[in-house]
Amino acid sequence: MMAEGGQAAAELSEAAQSELMDQCEDQFAQLEKLQNEIILFDFCENPQDQAVNRLMATEAELKQWLTVEPKLLASNSEVLLKAGKEEMLKLCSELEMVVSCHEAKRDKLRETKELEQKWLEEKKQALIAANDHVDRLQMEKGKLPGHSVLHDTKAKIQKMKVYQERLMECLGDILEKHVPCPHQNEPSTNKKKKKNITQELDEDLISLNEILELLMNKVLNTPHDPYVTIDNTFWPPYVELLLRYGIAVRHHENNFKIRLETFC
Amino acid sequence: MSLLKPFSKLPGLCTANILLVESEEQFQQSLADALVEETAVTVNVRLAKSLPLPMENEESRPRIDLVVFIINLTSELSFQSAEASLKYLDPGYFLGKVCFMVTNARNASVPTERLDAVRKLAASLNCPLLFAEDQTPDGVTNATERLLTILKVAAGLVPMATALYLSNLTRCTVPPDIDQPSFD
Repeated sequence: MMAEGGQAAAELSEAAQSELMDQCEDQFAQLEKLQNEIILFDFCENPQDQAVNRLMATEAELKQWLTVEPKLLASNSEVLLKAGKEEMLKLCSELEMVVSCHEAKRDKLRETKELEQKWLEEKKQALIAANDHVDRLQMEKGKLPGHSVLHDTKAKIQKMKVYQERLMECLGDILEKHVPCPHQNEPSTNKKKKKNITQELDEDLISLNEILELLMNKVLNTPHDPYVTIDNTFWPPYVELLLRYGIAVRHHENNFKIRLETFC
Repeated sequence: MSLLKPFSKLPGLCTANILLVESEEQFQQSLADALVEETAVTVNVRLAKSLPLPMENEESRPRIDLVVFIINLTSELSFQSAEASLKYLDPGYFLGKVCFMVTNARNASVPTERLDAVRKLAASLNCPLLFAEDQTPDGVTNATERLLTILKVAAGLVPMATALYLSNLTRCTVPPDIDQPSFD
């Protein structure tokens, strides 16, 4: 208030100015009085706990605010007009600042909104495209006969099975025709002498068919040890045949063991 | 040893006096240069390395309305110096006429314990704790504006507001779990 008085005084009438000066002096005298009181009081105050101190001060201030009564700045209308005008101008400039600040904020928000809308539009389009894709896929799925893929696969498996059957039959026929079981054809082809000698030990000779089966099963069941031991059920010419045509291989160290050649 | 008292002298007309205490004297000067630019009120800036203030200037020294302790978080010494200086302030100052300003808080090499210690100190004294960036001009301007706001209230230049009232709203509070180990 004193500051306002000092600045405004230049343009005020003499009566108003002197009134204002008087008021200022009164105020200053009061201030000095209070100051002196404080200085005197300071000596007898001893530092206490910070929080208690603070609480007391806050309570005192609250009390002060509750009891204080607003009073007129000055009775002179000239002074009031001047002070009011200054206050208004100050308020105006402050409000202008608020307005410009808010305008800037609004513009920024608008920009953000546009960006967000653009983004939303893009997302919507993406959603539409994705939905289309889903629809198309579902339509395609509906159009096709239920389990066409499954049927195809089953048919192929069936075909392969038939083919394998045929191959096995062919192989069986060839073996039966060209390499028959030793003791079946012995009586018809071999001489009597030989028959007598071999009869005892060839009682349980097995066919080439079975030898091959043994070898194959051994390879499949125990791949780490594919060797089969040759015993008296193997007819030596068949073993020789297998070895010679590279169908079977002998063990490096043990002559009585053979395994199937590793066909890729 | 003499206590610095908040009401030992008469206030000047339309004047606000601020005391910047910083042991390293780095940020003080730029802050002071920015503070005196203020036109609405006359701002007097006094600089000090630590308290107590020397006796010889006692007479010419105006009434100090706001004491600001500037603490550089990267140096332990800065914190210790500020802590030691607090003893030379009258208890009346802690009713809203003291604030702490911390710099370099974003520095990665700062131990979190030190920041916690500063926060505890500010909270135990019920003082506001400000964070400032001292490297950029923008940071200095910001710190200046915040200090000026507090200073004007502390100097009694804002009608209907007192330092105690403002500091009740702005004082630093410590979260209750500050002593818990953090999991980051």
